[in-house]
Amino acid sequence: MSFNWKHYFKTFSLKELMQGMGVTGKYFFERKITIQYPEEKTPISNRFRGHHALRRYPNGEERCIACKLCEAVCPALAITIDLEERPDGTRRTTRYDIDMFKCIYCGFCEEACPVDAIVETNIFEYHFENRGENIQTKDKLLAIGDKHEAEIAKMKAADAPYR
Amino acid sequence: MTEHPITMLKRKSDLLSHHEREDIDSWLARYPADKKQSALLAALRAVMHEDHYLSREKMDAVADYLGLPEIAVYEVASFYSMYEMDAKAAAKYSISVCTNVSCMLCGSDVILDHIEKKLGIKLGESTPDGKFFLKVEEECLAACSSAPMMQVNHVYHTHLTPEKVDEILDGLE
Amino acid sequence: MAEEFVTIEINDQPVQARKGAMLIEVADNNGISIPRFCYHKKLSIAANCRMCLVEMEKSWKPVPACATPVNAGMKFWTRSDKAKNAQKGIMEFLLINHPLDCPICDQGGECELQDVSVGYGSNKSQYAEIKRVVQDKDIGPLIETEMTRCIQCTRCVRFGDEIAGMREMGGVGRGDRLEIGTYIEKSLQSELSGNVIDLCPVGALTAKPSRYKARAWEMVAHDAIAPHDSVGSHLQVHTFRKEVVRAVPRENDAINECWISDRDRFSYQGIASADRITKPMLKRDGHWYEVSWQQALDATAEILRAADPARTGALASATSTVEELYLFQRLMRGLNIRNIDHRVRQTDFSDQSAAPLCPSLGMPIAQLEQQNAVFLIGSNVRQEQPLLNHRIRKAALKGAAVMALNPRAFDFNYDVAQQAVAPADMLQALQAMANDPDNAVMATLKNAEHAAVLLGNVAVQHPDFAALRGLAYTIAEQTGATFGYLAESANTVGAWVAGVVPHRLSAGRELKQAGVPVGEFLSENTRTFVLLNTELADFANPQQAMKALSAAENVIVIAPFADNTTRKYATVLLPSSTFAETSGTFINAAGQWQSFKGATVPPGEARPTWKVLRVLGNTAGVPEFDWVATEEIVAELHLELDGVAVCNNRYAGTVGRDAKSCVSTTADGAFQRIGDVQMYRVDPLVRRAKALQAMIPPAAVQLNPQDAANMGVAAGDTLKVSQGAVTITLPAQLDAGIPAGCAGLQSGIEVSNVLGAAFGALQIAKAG
Repeated sequence: MSFNWKHYFKTFSLKELMQGMGVTGKYFFERKITIQYPEEKTPISNRFRGHHALRRYPNGEERCIACKLCEAVCPALAITIDLEERPDGTRRTTRYDIDMFKCIYCGFCEEACPVDAIVETNIFEYHFENRGENIQTKDKLLAIGDKHEAEIAKMKAADAPYR
Repeated sequence: MTEHPITMLKRKSDLLSHHEREDIDSWLARYPADKKQSALLAALRAVMHEDHYLSREKMDAVADYLGLPEIAVYEVASFYSMYEMDAKAAAKYSISVCTNVSCMLCGSDVILDHIEKKLGIKLGESTPDGKFFLKVEEECLAACSSAPMMQVNHVYHTHLTPEKVDEILDGLE
Repeated sequence: MAEEFVTIEINDQPVQARKGAMLIEVADNNGISIPRFCYHKKLSIAANCRMCLVEMEKSWKPVPACATPVNAGMKFWTRSDKAKNAQKGIMEFLLINHPLDCPICDQGGECELQDVSVGYGSNKSQYAEIKRVVQDKDIGPLIETEMTRCIQCTRCVRFGDEIAGMREMGGVGRGDRLEIGTYIEKSLQSELSGNVIDLCPVGALTAKPSRYKARAWEMVAHDAIAPHDSVGSHLQVHTFRKEVVRAVPRENDAINECWISDRDRFSYQGIASADRITKPMLKRDGHWYEVSWQQALDATAEILRAADPARTGALASATSTVEELYLFQRLMRGLNIRNIDHRVRQTDFSDQSAAPLCPSLGMPIAQLEQQNAVFLIGSNVRQEQPLLNHRIRKAALKGAAVMALNPRAFDFNYDVAQQAVAPADMLQALQAMANDPDNAVMATLKNAEHAAVLLGNVAVQHPDFAALRGLAYTIAEQTGATFGYLAESANTVGAWVAGVVPHRLSAGRELKQAGVPVGEFLSENTRTFVLLNTELADFANPQQAMKALSAAENVIVIAPFADNTTRKYATVLLPSSTFAETSGTFINAAGQWQSFKGATVPPGEARPTWKVLRVLGNTAGVPEFDWVATEEIVAELHLELDGVAVCNNRYAGTVGRDAKSCVSTTADGAFQRIGDVQMYRVDPLVRRAKALQAMIPPAAVQLNPQDAANMGVAAGDTLKVSQGAVTITLPAQLDAGIPAGCAGLQSGIEVSNVLGAAFGALQIAKAG
């Protein structure tokens, strides 16, 4: 083994330490990217997959036609649908449950939906306080849809050109 | 199907008039006994001649008379434009104005407008007195060389002008 | 005519084919897939969808595979660019007016149009104009229409013409306005109409009772055997979350081909009827109490042990499985009860000891269509066994002479030389034939290469059954025809084999001390009744049955259903299973044993019937009663049979060549009732199938026009009809097919529940 001068020079001159301190120093003075959640929030993609919602048409009619494609495609078996013929002859759900504990937020349900009824919104801040609340029923999902329709429509429109 | 030899029940074919039966029978005589459906077109024509349209009852009567399923008669009757299945078509004179290419180029639209105004009815309607019926969307009647033309019942009237139409229609009883 | 085979080439592969066979048939046999809509192997060729276009050598344009007969040396390419282009183009045309509403369509997921479109279509359409919309038709309670989806393949139209034998649907209009429909609003009347649901390649015709019940991919398919007629059609029962949501045919060329009757298709609705019993119940002091199984079984066993065997009657329906019937008779005989029977609609038992082991068809079902002459005696085969009728119809279309001797002119969908004589005269008419070898019927049977004499349900239920059977057997013997029975129920043959008859043990073995048949023990003298799947509407004489059952001290009912009438006379209700909820075996008319597994479980505390019987046997202390599976029971019965041929129809009885009819015609002014059973009222399950019940025409009395004229009755007049002490009012219908002095009033229907014998005397008077 030959004597390695370079190695000893590097070691005793603290070159690597200085380099490391340089990086630290650089970020010490740079603009911070850490945000103060929940006071501050990062922007969200139009494709964000958050809490589900069921949408309605502008005339107030629910979009869902109970085709059960979302139920079929759901890899986590989180969706349960019951249906019947409404007196006006249309095919409608009587139950539309999503188990939020089972859901893996893959977005397949949204992809499968032929009428854009089930969507994943950008809502990600939610919690459950009691057992059973993890089952999101049709009424709850429709209510979320009603409340956030403007936002959902905007997100869908913004994403439309890329589909 | 079973046929009952002695029957005092009313049959659907009882509705056919003597004249219609004679006409149908004369056609039936030309075909083999097991090919009665061959006389269907003629039978419907006979009914048309008398009633100016085919009522459901009469179609059922023809079906019964020829031993055909009723739907087979409906199929044929609805296929050919020479048969009318609507009671409102049962006018004395059925007017068909050809509006296909040749006639259209020679001004059939003017003729049609004129007739509609003169009779006060639209296509597919008949006059309140039941005298005239204006048939919807008549296809080419194969008289292109003498366009524009119209057919009133079985008679062709060619080289029409509004004046000539007036003359023809006014001349009808 | 010898068949000639030729070699052709499909996709550069040499293939052997029958000369003149259609290319699509050859391709199917060789596993080469060609898309199609209008072609169906059981229907005539229409070649109007054009989906099966393929490339043919020396043809500059593609040819339809379904209408191209093959000949030696022909070459085809099914997936060449030319063929693919043609198929893609056709697919685009077909989709022009299709609404593409797959998400709400019941056919979605099992749709031929979907599949073919994905496989052979394009992913875009050049058609941007408005699609046409077709108004839906109401064609009855069984079939839902969505005619905008129709692609006019005309399979349903051809089915009506060729298979159902009554054309009800047709193509109305022409060109782009062609619509498939009935033109006038009417419901399809054919007893096979439900098959158009399977035939329809799109979602235009779907099952109304199953509408929006479940998607195709959610259902679990279970193989089953149809529980109503003696064809034993192969079914697939589809369940969704343990509930039966539909039944479809399974293909079996030897039995049901690819069809099933509407009764087999829609009767599953009865399974979820409100009449289902879900808990064992006991009646105490006129009140019903729900009890545990243990209590119920203890009570039942106590009743049976305490009962006087001579004054006890046990009745089982022939719609039960072989296993249930076998256990039933073992249980009863184990308790020394000998009055066991299943023939609740039969009235004449005088020749029962001369009867064969079981009433079988005498030939395989498929062989029916090879017959050159068929003589039906007392049979409305079209309603009783629709698919046997289909076979006979096929024979008739091939030129077979079909003759019939019936108490009234039944409606056939082919030419039948039908002799309609009053029930009391049937015997005489048959005697006349048997005694005169030159008779037209005898001559036809004799001259035919293959001939059959078949006894139908009406003959079996006829008061002169024994005499009719003897004569029919003689006629068959004299003419060299095959003698057979169009067995009544799904398991009539099985009931005989299992020994649910008073005079024989299972497998037809001799019995030391025989019991008496149902006709004798169905009286007030019997103190205890055990009813397995049998209800009041199943009896030949509901008045007599009600009297006997009401007078009994104990009536133990083992059945899935109990309606208010049953609750009136029953004292114990043991909830059991329907055909979809148990494993079991049916033996069909041709003697084929067909076992099936349960598709679902019985609701609530109801249990498979054979288990109920087995545990009841243990509770009652019957020895050697320890089967653990239905297979074991069938195996035991097979052992007992020891190779005895099930299908031997040899009849050992005397032939009454001048016997007198026992039909009562004594009362002056009385009419002979013709009480054949309504086809949708034959057993407890079908009586509870809602959609089928809606198909039953309103109850009426059919009279001969001459009789009606004599009475001054016109069609639609209200009549007072009395039988026994009961009088009901019904509208009159005139029917030239009713012999003079007779009145048609069907059995099984609701009003006839209060009436008496199906072939008894009726007093009829004009009301008001």
